Amino acid sequence: MNAKYVIGIDLGTTNSVVSYVALDAENPTVELLSLPQLVAPSTIEQRDALPSFLYLAPQHEAESGALDVPWDQGRQYCVGEHARRQGAEMPDRTVAAAKSWLCHSRVDRRQPLLPFGASSEVDTISPVMASQRYLEHLIECWDAKFPESPIHEQQVVLTVPASFDAAARELTREAARAAGLPADLVLLEEPQAALYAWLAERGDAWREDLSAGDRLLVCDVGGGTTDLTLIDVVDEQGELELRRLAVGDHLLVGGDNMDLTLAHGVAELFADEGVKLDAWQSVSLWHACRDAKEALLSHDAPESHRVSVLGRGSKVIGGTVSVDVPRELAADLLVSGFFPECELGDKPQRRRASGFQELGLPFESDVAITRHLAAFLTAHTKGESKANYPTHLLFNGGVFKADALRQLVISTLGGWLPEQHSVKELPGQRDLDFAVARGAAFYGRMKHHGGMRIRGGTARSYYVGIETAGLAIPGVPRPLRALCVVPFGMEEGTEVEVPSGEIGVVIGEPVHFRFFSSAVRSHDQPGCVLPQIDEEELDETDSLETVLEAGDGSEETYVPVRFLAKITELGVFELWCVSTSSDHRWKLEFSIRDEAPDRAQV
Amino acid sequence: MRLLLAIQCFVKVLFDSSFGDKVRQLTEGDAVPSSPQPKAPEVSPSPPPGRSEAIALVAALQREARFVDLVTESLDGYSDAQIGAAAREVLSNCGKVLDRVFALRPVAEVAEGESMQVPAEYDTGRVRITGNVSQQPPFSGKLVHAGWAATQCELSSWTGSAAAALVVAPAEVEVG
Repeated sequence: MNAKYVIGIDLGTTNSVVSYVALDAENPTVELLSLPQLVAPSTIEQRDALPSFLYLAPQHEAESGALDVPWDQGRQYCVGEHARRQGAEMPDRTVAAAKSWLCHSRVDRRQPLLPFGASSEVDTISPVMASQRYLEHLIECWDAKFPESPIHEQQVVLTVPASFDAAARELTREAARAAGLPADLVLLEEPQAALYAWLAERGDAWREDLSAGDRLLVCDVGGGTTDLTLIDVVDEQGELELRRLAVGDHLLVGGDNMDLTLAHGVAELFADEGVKLDAWQSVSLWHACRDAKEALLSHDAPESHRVSVLGRGSKVIGGTVSVDVPRELAADLLVSGFFPECELGDKPQRRRASGFQELGLPFESDVAITRHLAAFLTAHTKGESKANYPTHLLFNGGVFKADALRQLVISTLGGWLPEQHSVKELPGQRDLDFAVARGAAFYGRMKHHGGMRIRGGTARSYYVGIETAGLAIPGVPRPLRALCVVPFGMEEGTEVEVPSGEIGVVIGEPVHFRFFSSAVRSHDQPGCVLPQIDEEELDETDSLETVLEAGDGSEETYVPVRFLAKITELGVFELWCVSTSSDHRWKLEFSIRDEAPDRAQV
Repeated sequence: MRLLLAIQCFVKVLFDSSFGDKVRQLTEGDAVPSSPQPKAPEVSPSPPPGRSEAIALVAALQREARFVDLVTESLDGYSDAQIGAAAREVLSNCGKVLDRVFALRPVAEVAEGESMQVPAEYDTGRVRITGNVSQQPPFSGKLVHAGWAATQCELSSWTGSAAAALVVAPAEVEVG
């Protein structure tokens, strides 16, 4: 291994960031890689973040060379700031939020679905390919700056949401490998990365900030997603250790929803004054509302904030319309919409699915982050005393630049705690936009040199669906049971043989297993069978499949197998079928296609 | 004319990496290969035409802050409130662009209005002395303006055609 650097990549839903640190430096400092990108046609600027947007140009534009980058000519697409800006005017040709599609298990993520709903003239691409394009750009930026140390020879840590299940992680890894990242790429959960960044910044002082028995909540609200993680501080033979206790579900609600909500409210104020905004102005209003949100939700917020939308033509003064946005409006829309006061027992409101749901992203029907937080804490502290609620908070994500929102989370959380208990924010500088990337590089360096690590293992338990044997009733599917194959918290570099009855599979034909995960059933052991699938607790993800080839020309058509589950050193989940009658074993792969009927039987 | 040669070399070393490598070999005493290796053709056969940095800056101010639109529009017939509404938006975005490009910082670290010592060997480019200046430095005086200095200069680079290099903002046509 000739690695000279550890590179941390935060492949975000709306922005991607790359950081790096030298492996053998005496006093390592984590640097951000500047990312040259198109900000307008033929115009390349260095930025710290690459907006995760992809613009698919019409052919004539690509041929003109307008999307050329220093390392590639005749590009048909561009990623980054220019693509983000194009999204405002040409949404049909702009891919956004590809990452949220990666964990949307009801669609085939290798199919060209994006931009979602684009006309047939556009050469659409798959969510996996879009992610690959972003990563390729980041890699090209690295290789251009460090030609002597190409990225495939370095240690790379790529962050994923803690709520990504095994299939979404596998797809991320697939995109990363296809883009040219090294095979020993490590995936790290984003909230953990944010905590590593805090540890890096505090140095040894963190042992004074936290003590055994403390429980830390990482509240990460990005542009498009919300990710929650609980981490315990435990005393392990006199040394403080951090253990990841639980992660929340993948919540598709974030800062962009808030800006858009405020923009809708402000558009009504304009409408009251008889001003109707066109599509282009609505987008500028959306951006203006991000600033308005931060201004109106700050400590010393003014009574009102003036929002102006400039005219489209070159007569900028004549075309400008503006309106005063009162503080109450912002507080009303954003605070009671996204951070309403609620009880610990409250649950997010679910809208009943109509059955004919559009295939678009499954955005949360309840955008109240506090209610999701309440449900998360309730689910993971079941049966424990109230003293086990979080004692400390770490914020991440640009949303928390608004002081009022941090205060709201702290006070809501404080309200749930028994008396004499309080929750406080971790001390130190906040680095809400870059902490995840910085933390990833810092983690990679510690993994290499040894140092404080957050332990935790898998964030979910995993189950294979097994049909029960019995007389078939026409028209009625066989009842399905769930066999636990990976327990919650299974550590990297371990494997487990799953005790079960023998499962018969047919040789030479594809076998499919329906596959489930749970973020809340943390006590199930491998081999444990759930008599039915409770959709409240188990989420179905992509099915697993393989074709079992008979290895020795035997006549057998039916093999009895058991499962062997592995989490590799790199955190890759593998499930194997091991024959109980011979030495054969077959690895199951995620089938990202539509579900096929379950052929396996007990 | 060694001076001219030196300047030519300086420029060429800066912009031509293969020339730079040869100079390094010369200064390190290695023999220069008499016939240079036939090199693979460069990716871009002709260097990009480039664009004036001044245009790049104005284009960025226009793209992100509508600066040119604001300063070229006639102010006649608009009320101060109308001008203010547009200017507030434009100025705040101009500030963001300047900050990103130059990361401007005050030259003097004292607050304006406070007294400041100017040492004997002060840099006349960084500090300007006004008022009744008769004696020799060091001086003591009141800071009236803290000054500005760029800590970086990160302008965009241009890959477009020579013909478009003078375009600050393209004309926009909405189709359909």
